[in-house]
Amino acid sequence: MGGFLQAHFDDENATRRQLSEAKMKLPVSRRRLLIGSAAMAVGYVALSTSPAFPAAPAAAASGEALNAKFMRLSNLLINHRLSPAVGARIAEGAAADHKDMAAMMDQIIAIAEQKQARVVEDFFEDIPAGPAKEFAHWVIFAWYSGVSSPKPDAKVFTFEEALTFQTTSDVVTIPSYGLSGPNLWSQATVPLSQMPRF
Amino acid sequence: MVTKNNAEVVVIGTGVVGVLIAEQLLDAGISVLMLEAGPRVSRAEIVENFRNAPLGLKGDTSVSYPPAPWAPHPTGPTGGAHDYLQLSGPDSYAQTYIRYAGGSTWHWAGTSWRLTPEDMRLKSLYGVGRDWAFDYDTLDPFYTRAEYKLGICGPSNPEQQWPRRARLKPYPMPPLPFSPGETRFTQIVKELGYNNIPVSQARNSGMPYDDRPACCANNNCVPVCPVGAKYDAATALGRLEAKGAKILADAVVYKVETNGQNRIEAVHYLDPNKQSHRVAGKLFVIAANGLETPKLLLMSKDDRNPNGIANRSDQVGRNMMDHPQLTLTVTTKEPFWSGVGPVVNSGIMETSQGAFRSEHAGAYFRYNNFARNRFVTFAALKKGLVGKALDEEIRRMTACTADIVAAHEILPHPDNRLTLSDKTDWLGLPKPSIHYDVGDYVRRSAEVYSLPIGKKIAAAMGATDVKISPKFAQSKHIMGGTIMGADAMNSVVDTDCRSHDHDNLFLPGGGAMASTACGNSTITMAALALRSADAIVSQMKGAH
Repeated sequence: MGGFLQAHFDDENATRRQLSEAKMKLPVSRRRLLIGSAAMAVGYVALSTSPAFPAAPAAAASGEALNAKFMRLSNLLINHRLSPAVGARIAEGAAADHKDMAAMMDQIIAIAEQKQARVVEDFFEDIPAGPAKEFAHWVIFAWYSGVSSPKPDAKVFTFEEALTFQTTSDVVTIPSYGLSGPNLWSQATVPLSQMPRF
Repeated sequence: MVTKNNAEVVVIGTGVVGVLIAEQLLDAGISVLMLEAGPRVSRAEIVENFRNAPLGLKGDTSVSYPPAPWAPHPTGPTGGAHDYLQLSGPDSYAQTYIRYAGGSTWHWAGTSWRLTPEDMRLKSLYGVGRDWAFDYDTLDPFYTRAEYKLGICGPSNPEQQWPRRARLKPYPMPPLPFSPGETRFTQIVKELGYNNIPVSQARNSGMPYDDRPACCANNNCVPVCPVGAKYDAATALGRLEAKGAKILADAVVYKVETNGQNRIEAVHYLDPNKQSHRVAGKLFVIAANGLETPKLLLMSKDDRNPNGIANRSDQVGRNMMDHPQLTLTVTTKEPFWSGVGPVVNSGIMETSQGAFRSEHAGAYFRYNNFARNRFVTFAALKKGLVGKALDEEIRRMTACTADIVAAHEILPHPDNRLTLSDKTDWLGLPKPSIHYDVGDYVRRSAEVYSLPIGKKIAAAMGATDVKISPKFAQSKHIMGGTIMGADAMNSVVDTDCRSHDHDNLFLPGGGAMASTACGNSTITMAALALRSADAIVSQMKGAH
């Protein structure tokens, strides 16, 4: 694993402390924060309608193209069915943190196509060490964990659709989502080898 | 300052103790006003907070329950008020509790082990700690009432009940099914001579109860049951209001006022605008949590009570106790599979009893049944695997790791003490300061008893790796700060949890417990609450 994710893990504790201090100073609930954000967004639209409007279709088209390319990349890196809605959120988060995202996606996709890859194992080792490989690891990380990093201030892309839960969906509950009816969850243990299809 | 006097009994705190007492009083025709320091929040909002939290933060309860500025509660190292508790001493009394309407049962596991008769006679039987001021048979009917009030499920087979003695009534509901991991764990420890029995727990089993639905295995009892199948005091608030209770949220009581006869005359609270209000009443119940109650008593010192309210004995805030716990995280060859059913569903209790208690603490062992994805996902991803190998590694680590927890009893010690810090909170009120040392009684147990048993269990599970927590963690079972006793010179409350010093002040709950045993404290707190309620009704009706 490259330095990008490693750095996330290494300074996790320090960031937690910082976040804790920030929360102490500004205790605002998530709901209030969302309401506040929505109000700010409405205000932004009202103030910026005339200059921003003509550019909006182009921006939307650009966003769709980015999402489509990101889903193409994701489907090469992950051998499972993926949600476009979750992908759009991860792509948005990735774009914010990786200015050279488009070029890295092109590079990785080109390697996969050159190898005529059907699954990630066909080409992943061919991605050269460096930013593109770190980005590929990050994309996988985001899909499996549903977050941008292990840090407390991570962006949340999804909870219940994080792929980690799919690897154990034949047995383990996604916490807070009911598994079965009242007292109907008795079951024999299952072997590790029976990986669920997802 | 506004004086309000609209209830005969003023209850401070809307957790399980306050709620149980309030309802008994209302049913007896006594008017009740409840003051809650924190906000009143819907279950949906708490569930939403949990689901929207980053995966790495889901174990931090403050994410689901962000503290209000005026009612900070401790949140642990990753929470929003990690320095609310000012901690000192060899061990860290790092607790979490919730200052919301409904209190800390919002995020309890629902585990409801009773004390045993022996647990209440440590001094007589083993020469350590304190005896309770009454015996188990005195508490037994109140346990039964509490179990029916909260809705406790448990086994009908006497061999699987705790304590192993005839019950006055069966549990109102049967036990819940085990997960594959719990089933396998039970088989393994049986071969070692230990009985892993279904925990008696406040969770609706196979049927609705108390207008709440049956558990359907959401595996999220901690931090919040999304459907209310687990009892929490918040589920009772609407019913109390329908019976006539007035509940004031965001009302931070900061002073208890006495009169010339040294009876309690009123309490004063601050609202979120920092405006002060005075509430008078005939009788007062402070059930504001095992830390907040002694803090409030110490904050309220006056000329008649220079050490604080109810503190002629100088025992308020002393004897702080919990269940110091050590966790063995084991990696196994075969899959165990946690995360099916409630998060705590069984335990080995017999290891809490024995003549060894003259030398060291007993311990209770439990197999944690939390879904383990959130504990292992980052570690699996850190290995840099992709594709099928990554899927298999996450699945293996989820299935083949488990937490075995050894929870110890602790003895009351006056130096384990809560005092008032010179640091203040958002309202300018002193933060609690707690000095804590689990003591040699606990450390000796870990050395010669609990960890050897834990390692033996781990080996029998086929563990290929065992990681033991380096320090004692707290179980968030706050006990002892207003300790009960027959002698007013070395205890704070009498056998009804009435203050020795003020006959119209009751301090029920975990603070009154004279011994901790090893099992979770809430059902004993609930039993004490009902016993207090009977005494209060009797007193209010003029019989005292």
